[in-house]
Amino acid sequence: MSKNISSLSGRQGLENNLFERISERPDKETLAALAEEFLVGKANTFGAVTFYDFLKPENQGKEVYVCNGTACLCAGTQEKLQQDLEKHVSADKIGHMTCLGRCHENAAFQYNGKNYSNLNEEELSSLFEQKSLPGTDDYIIQHRGTPVLTGEYDKNELFDLIRNFLNQNSADVLDEIISSGVRGRGGAGFPMGIKLEGCRNAAGKQKFIVCNADEGDPGAYSDRYLLEKQPLLVLIGMMAAGYVCGAEWGVLYIRGEYPESVSACESAIKELTDAGLLGQNINGSGFNYAFKVVTAQGAYICGEETALLSSLEGQRPEVRVRPPYPVQEGLFRMPTVVNNVETLAAVPYILLNGGEAYKKIGTERSSGTKLLSLDSFFNRPGIYEVDMGTSLNTVVTELGGGFKSKVKALHIGGPLGGLVPLSKINDLSVDFESFSQNGFLLGHASVICVPFDFPMAKYIEHLFEFTADESCGKCFPCRLGSVRGQEMFEKAQEGSYKIDRQLLDDLLETLEQGSLCALGGGVPLPIKNALQYFEEELKGYFE
Amino acid sequence: MKKAYINNKAYEINNGETILSFLKRYMGDKPVPTLCDAPNLEPFGSCRVCSVEVALEAGGRTKTVASCHTPVQENFHIYTETESVKRLRKNIIELVLTDHPLDCLTCEVNGNCELQDVAASVGIRSVRYPEGKTHLDREKDLSHAYMTSDLSKCINCYRCVRACDEVQGQFVLSMAGRGFESRIIKGMDTSFADSDCVSCGACSQACPTSAISDIFESKSIVSSTKTRTVCTYCGVGCNLEVASTNGNIQSIRAPYDAEVNSGHTCLKGRYAFSFYDHPERLRDPMIKRNGTFEKVTWDEAYDFIVDKFNQIKATEGPDAIAGISSSRCTNEENYLMQKFIRAVVGTNNIDGCARVCHSPTALGMQRAFGTGAATNSVEDLHYTNCMMVIGANPTAAHPVTGARIKQQAMKGKTLIVIDPRKTELAKYADHHLALRPGTNVAVLNMMMHYILKENLHDQEFLSARTEGFDGFKEEILNLDIDKMEAVSGVDREQVRAAAIAYASAENAMSFHGLGVTEHSQGTYTVQQIADLAMITGNIGRRGVGVNPLRGQNNVQGSADMGVQPHQGAGYLDVTNPDINKAYKDFYGVEVPSEIGYKIPEMFDAALAGQLKAIWIIGEDVVQTDPNTQKVIKALKNTDLVIVQELFMTETAKYADVILPGASFLEKSGTFTNGERRVQRVNAVVKPVGNSKVDGQIIIDVMNRMGYNQADYTPDGMLEEISQIVPFFKGISWSRLGKNGLQWPVAEDGTDTQILHTETFKRGLGRIDFFPFEESNELLEHQEEYPFILTTNRNLEHYNCGAMTRRTNNVEISTEDLLWINPADAEAKGIKDGELICVKSPRGKVDIKAFVTDGVKPGVLSTTFHFPEIMVNNLTSDVHDSQAMCPEYKVVAVDIRKAKNTAFRKAGELVD
Ligand SMILES: Cc1cc2nc3c(=O)[nH]c(=O)nc-3n(C[C@H](O)[C@H](O)[C@H](O)COP(=O)(O)O)c2cc1C
Ligand code: SF4
Ligand code: SF4
Ligand code: SF4
Ligand code: SF4
Ligand code: FES
Repeated sequence: MSKNISSLSGRQGLENNLFERISERPDKETLAALAEEFLVGKANTFGAVTFYDFLKPENQGKEVYVCNGTACLCAGTQEKLQQDLEKHVSADKIGHMTCLGRCHENAAFQYNGKNYSNLNEEELSSLFEQKSLPGTDDYIIQHRGTPVLTGEYDKNELFDLIRNFLNQNSADVLDEIISSGVRGRGGAGFPMGIKLEGCRNAAGKQKFIVCNADEGDPGAYSDRYLLEKQPLLVLIGMMAAGYVCGAEWGVLYIRGEYPESVSACESAIKELTDAGLLGQNINGSGFNYAFKVVTAQGAYICGEETALLSSLEGQRPEVRVRPPYPVQEGLFRMPTVVNNVETLAAVPYILLNGGEAYKKIGTERSSGTKLLSLDSFFNRPGIYEVDMGTSLNTVVTELGGGFKSKVKALHIGGPLGGLVPLSKINDLSVDFESFSQNGFLLGHASVICVPFDFPMAKYIEHLFEFTADESCGKCFPCRLGSVRGQEMFEKAQEGSYKIDRQLLDDLLETLEQGSLCALGGGVPLPIKNALQYFEEELKGYFE
Repeated sequence: MKKAYINNKAYEINNGETILSFLKRYMGDKPVPTLCDAPNLEPFGSCRVCSVEVALEAGGRTKTVASCHTPVQENFHIYTETESVKRLRKNIIELVLTDHPLDCLTCEVNGNCELQDVAASVGIRSVRYPEGKTHLDREKDLSHAYMTSDLSKCINCYRCVRACDEVQGQFVLSMAGRGFESRIIKGMDTSFADSDCVSCGACSQACPTSAISDIFESKSIVSSTKTRTVCTYCGVGCNLEVASTNGNIQSIRAPYDAEVNSGHTCLKGRYAFSFYDHPERLRDPMIKRNGTFEKVTWDEAYDFIVDKFNQIKATEGPDAIAGISSSRCTNEENYLMQKFIRAVVGTNNIDGCARVCHSPTALGMQRAFGTGAATNSVEDLHYTNCMMVIGANPTAAHPVTGARIKQQAMKGKTLIVIDPRKTELAKYADHHLALRPGTNVAVLNMMMHYILKENLHDQEFLSARTEGFDGFKEEILNLDIDKMEAVSGVDREQVRAAAIAYASAENAMSFHGLGVTEHSQGTYTVQQIADLAMITGNIGRRGVGVNPLRGQNNVQGSADMGVQPHQGAGYLDVTNPDINKAYKDFYGVEVPSEIGYKIPEMFDAALAGQLKAIWIIGEDVVQTDPNTQKVIKALKNTDLVIVQELFMTETAKYADVILPGASFLEKSGTFTNGERRVQRVNAVVKPVGNSKVDGQIIIDVMNRMGYNQADYTPDGMLEEISQIVPFFKGISWSRLGKNGLQWPVAEDGTDTQILHTETFKRGLGRIDFFPFEESNELLEHQEEYPFILTTNRNLEHYNCGAMTRRTNNVEISTEDLLWINPADAEAKGIKDGELICVKSPRGKVDIKAFVTDGVKPGVLSTTFHFPEIMVNNLTSDVHDSQAMCPEYKVVAVDIRKAKNTAFRKAGELVD
């Protein structure tokens, strides 16, 4: 990342945002003019554009984007979908997006800025005739335990909540959040209160609250649920965070694969504005707050918080070194809080019921509830909210209703989460500690089923390939290692090559210990799980 | 004391340092391998080969971290060579080699490649991966005059990208694509030649392999000899490390440990050296006989000169002789030249190029503070909160300082630019006051008016340390703002905002250049800048002050050494009887006590028949002094013109005797940069042909005229100088070391980064009010010549261009261009690239148009580097009223589309 570009981009602030400007798919001349306007190099605007799936020349401006995420891959629906689509659009007009969040029914694609999944041939035909169909996006939403995130909230009650906390001392608001013990739901589990406190104490002309709504983990759509069905919870969480830190801007960085999330948030913001709860001196409190919704342009790594910040600045979203941490030097080099959607959405409950009430839910170290998203292999795919500490078996069998067809492993927590063989389901409960003690990772708690007949070697190759595709390319181990790993498994499956186990172990160790961020650093976990639990199946590929 | 452990031994840690810098302090330069780290770049963390293991207690559980960007903390137990990190490093390099050509033996950096070194140090034997995708088929880019790339050798460490961003600030380079497909691009994926590259070479120096390099293959190890010296091209004074083999210069790099430039240079310093053995170098003395130059021996030349000098001295008196010394020469040589003129010839007719650039600075700052030199150091940029750049375009004329100012501005430090042109820095400025040329005084008065109005002046400082404020205050508060706004063309609110920004910054520092001095009110403007600093209390500590950007490399030094007609070595007043006696005692002969001719007066005297001989060293007065035709007439009217030069310049053509001098690469001595830093210049090669070190030439003539002066050695000369120049007292050749010393240097060797910390040299600082006065040039000619031409330098060329035009720099900048606003161009029916005939009361020239909104309507701007154009045919005789510096910056001209489309030399246009 470039400090210079951060500052130069920051001069124009969020109103004239370089990232949004380059997101308008400018031609080369416009990119050059943008460089001049923002006082950066042509190489910078051009370099940034070529990073993103939706902006890079090869994949830009397609008519249809077919999902190539893990859940759709495992479901095996995409080949047929591609064939069906080619009846309506020529192959060169079809591009790719990675996970549209339709993991509950698969056969997902985007057309005309809207997502569709599992349409039959007839529906497909009428879609291309009418250019748009009313959304069908049904999935089960249920809770077991306290409905912190999936409960029904009265809008006026929520509006009052805002007026209420703006009347309180911001230090007291922070205290509630700290005492709730709520930890980050984006993967790393960092306590939210400590982050807010860090930002509150940092000096800066301006501060920012950024909602990480780039839910990139294939198989995850719980953030999408919150953004589309509970946007006020997220927005109010951001406002409270802003009030605590002294930030006047809330930025929602929403992945471009979720067009409906963008519009849902925008309407919720309008509701807040109409209620007089945004803008200058809100409700006479002296507190100013504004929202900015930014649509991402297709890059998994933008979910990583520092890459996300660089992206927002219009830089290439390459992972930054830490320190400085975002709370010290984040967006435009100002103190910034980056929190996951689900983390922020827990705040209204905490402020309504008190931090202690939230703390009582869940386990000692993992307080509160967790959303899980189950894919289409479950009999009852959908979003489930459970108290932390609930057994995994309850989720799989009772809530999810078991599997439609035979499954050999669950990939939980996204591509960097562990690969849980069926035999381990009974050992696990839904909380950070249980997963890590057993050699897995709760992560964002998406659940993808690996079908019984899906070759494990192919799955490993897919994981390497995903990493290679999504690697920002900054650090040597991930940029090179992900490709070499993919090649090894590709060649081994072709039969021309036997894998040197020592070399593979060296590669995994190099990725794990050497990578700058948790993409390169995390992908060895599921691969090692696979090597351990599916040793028999994989034996033949090795020397 | 806070401690951490390296391989179980405890050491003290510094606050905030990285593990790598902690390790370096105790284990030497290469405690662990690194690839993406570089001394002048921010930690980046891409290669990961610097990884170490860290535990929080001895033998505790360790974590692997990259040492280059992880801060060390108290009680860290750092292990640098565990089996695990050794394996990690080796495995990373193995991955790198899967996408790297294996042709080390034929690679230009073989033996000096960081990848090669790291591969060897981690003990790589073989690459175990099956053959896969690679990027070995990338093509070389040989499009550029200096820069080259072969990205098949690229290891994606981003050092070049970061160097271009963090050091130069040019943003030419970036990555495109992502992941495995990410690759270095220039601009929007063009070649070096088509990019916005300014050829600073920072990327080439930063690149650990040969992926980005230069035509001199500066990273090859072919040359064995490395000599550290100082650049000749501007007052920044960058240190250079020159590689040579058998007396031939191979290439130049910038030492990272140089305090002045820490690993950076501009293209002049790094690449524009090949003039030194250009075929056109003057290699023998020559005497003009019957209109043609004939080669002679040194003895013949000396005899000829000495005879003439003696004869003129006898018949016309010493005052019929004058010398112009060179700011490109060393301090020692300048000292010798003024000594020769004063002590051997017996006149004070000695002057130098400072006359045409910074004489108003020296005079103005002496009047205000007592010392005519920068009050602070460039380093202070780190401590300042507000930078004011007035009449200077440092990214072109002082590129390394310019780059540093730009870095600070980009990161958000307040920048005020006062300049008629939209300079590179103006683009980044918070306040750009684009005034009409010649109205600096009006704008600065407006600023001070608003500062007092807003009560932002520092009364405490004013009362304790200055005089003259009360009178000043009365005048400034009565300033006619309406009128000043009208003459300067700058909105008063803009001026007010800039004034408030400067005055309310905790620390504000100013930089000024020739856009301040080369005016009829130049000295006054310098005094105003000093006023501004004093009324806001911005003097005498870190991050403040008045900092002239000195033009030529040794302008500061030549003045320090006494190259001016009114002050001798050490700025001592020649008319003062006590000082006269001191000089007399020191030189051992009588010295004159009447002030001599300044350069313009020399030409006037020559035209009046009073000057009979002139000795000009390293100064192309014909091309670079104003009013070319007048200068030529003056030279023609002088009996003996001696020109000591490297090349047959326009001036040399009018010489009677030509003496071939030596370039900076061929001599030793010292240069003093714009922050008073005296630095060692070390000869890299011997003078070409029969040319000689300039100092020795002067000494030879001194001896032949009967004055006993020992042969030229830098240490010997410095010893002499330190005895007469008070602020050189503690300077000796050996003490100067690598990074030099900033004068005044006390007897014990302590030098001075900041002047006037307690008191001013003159006691109290003097504050004066100066009313704006329109230049006579405009008063007299504006009706007939309604445009204002202002002249300036560009990045690629150095003054008359004699040196830089004999390097590949001409491929990058091929001609002088005339900047013209689109509105003016349209009104005159002129298109970009067409020839414009520019006419002034003195003459006319044809120049190619560059249509740009970088100048306002009514204002034109051009460089003066090319003799084909001779821009100074246009410039006027108007001078600064105090220091006689010519007004290059305001020339009344008229323009029309040239009648001829083919280019005509200026000489052909002369009526
Ligand atoms: C490769 C990678 C991808 C990530 N993707 C996401 C994401 O999609 N959403 C998210 O909230 N956090 C993601 N994170 C985690 C963020 O970096 C960061 O920890 C999180 O946004 C902090 O918010 P929290 O504390 O509320 O969890 C990702 C991290 C990595 C390394
Ligand atoms: S691990 Fe991969 S994604 Fe993360 S910084 Fe390194 S290259 Fe980028
Ligand atoms: S030479 Fe200088 S300006 Fe040109 S690309 Fe390299 S670092 Fe950038
Ligand atoms: S060109 Fe050189 S400096 Fe730039 S990324 Fe490649 S190897 Fe590194
Ligand atoms: S900035 Fe000045 S001193 Fe430095 S390399 Fe360039 S010309 Fe030489
Ligand atoms: S030197 Fe530390 S990561 Fe490259």
